[in-house]
Amino acid sequence: MQESLRLNVNGKATGVEVAPGSRLLDVLRENLGLVGSKEACGRGECGACTVLIDGRPVASCLVMAETVSGAVTTIEGLADEFADLRRAFADNGAFQCGFCTSGQLVRAAALIREEWPDNPDEREAFVRHRMSGNICRCTGYTGIVDAILLTAQARRSSAADRP
Amino acid sequence: MKYLGARTRVIDWEARTNGSFQYTADVKLDGLLEGVILRSPYSHAKILRVDTSRARTMPGVHAVITAADFPPGARYFHEGVPDRPPLADGVVRFIGQEVAAVAAETRLQAQAALRAIVVEYQQLPGPLTTAAALGRGVSRLHDRQSGVDNVSRSVLRDWGSAETGRRNSTVSVSGDFFFARQTHACMETNIAVAQWSETDQRLEFWTSTQAPYYVASEVANVMGLKQDQVICHEVGVGGGFGSKSKICEHEAIAGLLARLARRPVCVKLSREEEFETTKTRHAFSMSMQLHADSAGQLRVIAGKIDVDNGAYNHSGVSVMGAGIKGLGMLYRPEGLEVSGRLVDTALLPGGQFRGYGTVQTSFAVECLMDDLAEKLGVDPIDLRIRNANQSGEMTLVGAELGSARLVECLTAARDAIGWTREREKDNRRPGRGVGVSASVHVSGSFTMPGANRSDAAIDVFADSRVRVRFGGSDAGTGQKTILALIAAEELGVDLEAVDVQMMESDKTPFDMGAWSSRGTHYGGHAVRKAAVATAERLKGLAASQLGDGDLRLEDGMVKSAARGIPIGTIAQLSNDLKDGILSTETSFVETSVVQADRATGKGNVSPSYNFAAHAAVVDVDRRTGRISVLDYVAVHDIGFALNRITIEGQAIGGAVMGLGAALSEEIIFEQGKVVNPAYLHYALPRAADVPRIRPILIEGGDPRGPYGAKAIGECSINPPPSVISNAVYDAIGVRIRDLPITPDKIINALARREGRSRSHHIWRRPSRWWIAIVRAAYSRGLLKILHARNLRFASHVEPAPLEKVETPATLANVLSAMGADAKLMGGGTDLQLQRRLGLVEPKRLISLAKVAEFQGVKTLADGVIEVGAAVTLTALATAIRHRIPMIAQAIDKIASSQIREMATVAGNLIQAKRCWFFRNGFGCFKRLGGLAPCYAIEGDHRFYHAAIDGHRCQATTPSDLATALSAVGADVVIAGPDGERVVSMDAFYTGPGEAVLTEHEVVRSIRIRAGATARLGAFVKLRLWEGDFAIASVAITANISADGVLHDPRIVIGGLAPTPWRAQQTEGSLDGKPIEIGTFRAALDRELDRAAHPLPRNGWKLDAAAGLSEQALEAVLRAHEAAQAAPVRESA
Ligand code: FES
Ligand code: FES
Repeated sequence: MQESLRLNVNGKATGVEVAPGSRLLDVLRENLGLVGSKEACGRGECGACTVLIDGRPVASCLVMAETVSGAVTTIEGLADEFADLRRAFADNGAFQCGFCTSGQLVRAAALIREEWPDNPDEREAFVRHRMSGNICRCTGYTGIVDAILLTAQARRSSAADRP
Repeated sequence: MKYLGARTRVIDWEARTNGSFQYTADVKLDGLLEGVILRSPYSHAKILRVDTSRARTMPGVHAVITAADFPPGARYFHEGVPDRPPLADGVVRFIGQEVAAVAAETRLQAQAALRAIVVEYQQLPGPLTTAAALGRGVSRLHDRQSGVDNVSRSVLRDWGSAETGRRNSTVSVSGDFFFARQTHACMETNIAVAQWSETDQRLEFWTSTQAPYYVASEVANVMGLKQDQVICHEVGVGGGFGSKSKICEHEAIAGLLARLARRPVCVKLSREEEFETTKTRHAFSMSMQLHADSAGQLRVIAGKIDVDNGAYNHSGVSVMGAGIKGLGMLYRPEGLEVSGRLVDTALLPGGQFRGYGTVQTSFAVECLMDDLAEKLGVDPIDLRIRNANQSGEMTLVGAELGSARLVECLTAARDAIGWTREREKDNRRPGRGVGVSASVHVSGSFTMPGANRSDAAIDVFADSRVRVRFGGSDAGTGQKTILALIAAEELGVDLEAVDVQMMESDKTPFDMGAWSSRGTHYGGHAVRKAAVATAERLKGLAASQLGDGDLRLEDGMVKSAARGIPIGTIAQLSNDLKDGILSTETSFVETSVVQADRATGKGNVSPSYNFAAHAAVVDVDRRTGRISVLDYVAVHDIGFALNRITIEGQAIGGAVMGLGAALSEEIIFEQGKVVNPAYLHYALPRAADVPRIRPILIEGGDPRGPYGAKAIGECSINPPPSVISNAVYDAIGVRIRDLPITPDKIINALARREGRSRSHHIWRRPSRWWIAIVRAAYSRGLLKILHARNLRFASHVEPAPLEKVETPATLANVLSAMGADAKLMGGGTDLQLQRRLGLVEPKRLISLAKVAEFQGVKTLADGVIEVGAAVTLTALATAIRHRIPMIAQAIDKIASSQIREMATVAGNLIQAKRCWFFRNGFGCFKRLGGLAPCYAIEGDHRFYHAAIDGHRCQATTPSDLATALSAVGADVVIAGPDGERVVSMDAFYTGPGEAVLTEHEVVRSIRIRAGATARLGAFVKLRLWEGDFAIASVAITANISADGVLHDPRIVIGGLAPTPWRAQQTEGSLDGKPIEIGTFRAALDRELDRAAHPLPRNGWKLDAAAGLSEQALEAVLRAHEAAQAAPVRESA
């Protein structure tokens, strides 16, 4: 039993044929070939499958495709806009095996757009709190946190430099 | 050097960060089938009959295998007696052991076929703990040659002279230590794709492994093939940490399924299977002593170790040996005398894990070093420096230390952590402590023939590109990049011109893989050798063009003083080209190492030895038992950092994994079954749980290392457990020897030391008599009986398919759509999980996300705030943060930001209980009803079960929001076919996570009572990791008049009773009085003592809850003071 759905993924409207109750993660990976989103738990506990819906980070392994009305963005759709963040990940040792990395990057992308604490001393704790839904078993998080802090900082100062 | 020693991004960084890096699950093959595994539900049983006939005929099924399909007597290789078959043949020895497997077109079909396989078992008793295994009259799990039942192997290591050492000693310290079972929990679950080619008679694998060579050799072994009939292809590996350094069981199964199905097969473990069935770190129980003289010279290390082998041998023999060996390498005692027993238990087997024995034994000895320092009255770092091994020394176990910079590590750690400042009396802050620990590890142990060898090949193409071919795999260690750096360095080419091909059995030469920290030494030397040979060949070829003068390789060219020619052009001059490629393959054999002597265990097994010292500052909250690590330095003697980014990454990652073992990680069993098979239940560190780790690299080269480099990957995991135990001791003066150091152990140790205890006078409370009797009967055999009668372990399966997901727009439509076959869904975050766990099996889902009546946060005319049922937690926190900050604080501590974006207010309130027995497949009372037992009564109930009012079920209501709403005063609006009714939050629950809703009703909204915004409040929570459910949480609100008098306080404690628990007597005693923390605590303690009826191991939660309550009240007081200081705040 299949049903047709229309999804807006990475800026493109797409029609898919899916079984009722299909997980958004499977639709992305299987139907649309967007395999950057990973399944590490399928239970909403690890963040590897994080995608954005209307800019908000969600666990796509728990989302049913039928309930999605907003715009879905995956790592594939963010890679260019967040090339700076990806480079910062590489420069700061923010990944090793890379299996959690798509989820980390997608979550971090949404975080970079969020409103940050004015006090610079509170920013690391802020990042750690917001990123705690994304497990990384390899890196010990220091590199991930640094990459996000540095990218956000660089973006802020280049925004400030703009006339 | 241009590349080596710098900070270089890994060469595949683009693909690893843009989603295009291919892991096994991303491999798409035509006709790929799904393979699933049937597992034993029993700890120990004889298999009387397996009937697969019905399964074979089921739709979509292409292969069904049992032990009979493997060659008779097939066993995995292992040191000690190989004892584990790829599929159980005759006997099962742990819950989860592989019994049969199916390959079918879809996972659902495969699972349906699994259910159709009939297996008749005859249950046998089996030892579920090492103590039980060693006890009298227990059943034997295997026939072993050790002469002792359930002892697979015993060893006695006696190096140097312990006897003289003892004579020369004047002080000794001792202790009993326990290192729990940690699991790797790689982010990618175990997965393999296999494909059999009938024409080539070969089996191809795409598999997530650290050791392609071993997968091939062991698959060949158990399938009766020749090694070259099994090949691996290169694929991304999502973490390993040792778990994938030998074959993993699903690989052999995938191989055989693929061969019989004649179709490619993917076997992918679910997260639950990964936790429940993959081999863990071996738990060690250690009784250890150190003896020293009064000058602080360590004389003897002695002790007895029991290693929990689990049900099969795997690496147990070698892990036990390595653990003892590690003790013979760090310091210079006169003698070491340690015995070990490898004990068979009917549990999940242990296996290889980063740290490999040393992490366990060094925990014990490094804690004892601190005890010894205290006894001698010397500084712990000084004591370690005094005893540290030095470069050039031969250690007790026969390790020849080419370089050993342990002293430098210790000094650097001391400076970096601010050791002296932290320990000065005047700087002492209550609850704050500093700890240190040292460690050593091999850089690739010569454990078996071939392990001291590694081959590599280098190809030079006509366009001057270079390809390194190497047989190992890079599971995230950065080895691939290091090999590229070496090739670029030696061949004088740009890093961008170098590709590295790994784990392609047909093309990549011999290497045993990435384990025993061998990647740096063996891979480094192998590729260096091949690159140097290639460079020589190129120079030789170039001589005809450039003359015999001094030639060098630079800028992608071979250069003479006068000119240069691209290496690709030079390579083409060779008459030894294959497909136009100049290939050079060399073999590196390390001659400085020997295999350990079988009788003594001694020998120089590793070419180099890497040392480390870690130090940390912790804060221990005496009131809740929570340990916060405030600062952490990891100093490593690595000889030379080939690539700083990845070397530091290993230091940091290992330290955090070690902190997990120190603070929270443990695989817990009940009746032989894993209780916590999920990230939710297995507490591993999240970003907010650990501090920034500060790595410091000590360099200076090692004479044998490639470019002077030594390993690091494993050494970094060894120190954290002892660092933390030592720091906790420094902070509060209690020594915890039992890992992980969870809050219960802190609270219990403090209570013991301070002589505190609680008395609950059950004999005066007739309502609790019956329960006390039943609980007592449980431990006297009732549980066993009830368990045996009801034994029904469920495991997670693919949820049953749905017929429809409906998205009604109005409440009326919701009510008419409801029915017995349907479930309502808010954000779905719990419902999807419940379907996965088989707790519910709806045919239809009714999504509430778009129902108009369920939206929005509105302030009604009377000041009541109405929150729609489908408002997400994030939306509620945003809407209410400035009006009732306490509720936002509570929401911020729920789960993760992703879940908070999805989960709805009503969904959070009515989520099912999180009891880890109920959730994880135990056939408990709440699942089966009737006479089914409550596993929490005897099982591990330290964290998540009720200490007040537990009855047939000990679970608690998991919603923190409920606790918070109860504390402000709120009502739930419930809609049903007959209209609406309003229930106070205090009366909303009837049991743990069970609400007053009938099956025809739905929560429409929450109404927060008028006046709530004028109250001051605070929410605090004790949990094992950021986002975890509450061990206990406390919400307090009150009105406080300007003179500091408390009015109408509400104190609600979550996680302590089946439903949010109000401390009403304490509320009454505070009302109308000024806040006084001591009086409050005394009143609350009295009330808790009167109300509680804790289980044997969760009484500490009362202390923790009382401590949290103090903290909450203090926060309320602070809020009051802040409001007094800034009285205009409300007008904003
Ligand atoms: S796979 Fe979705 S949260 Fe883990
Ligand atoms: S990089 Fe391996 S899990 Fe994060």
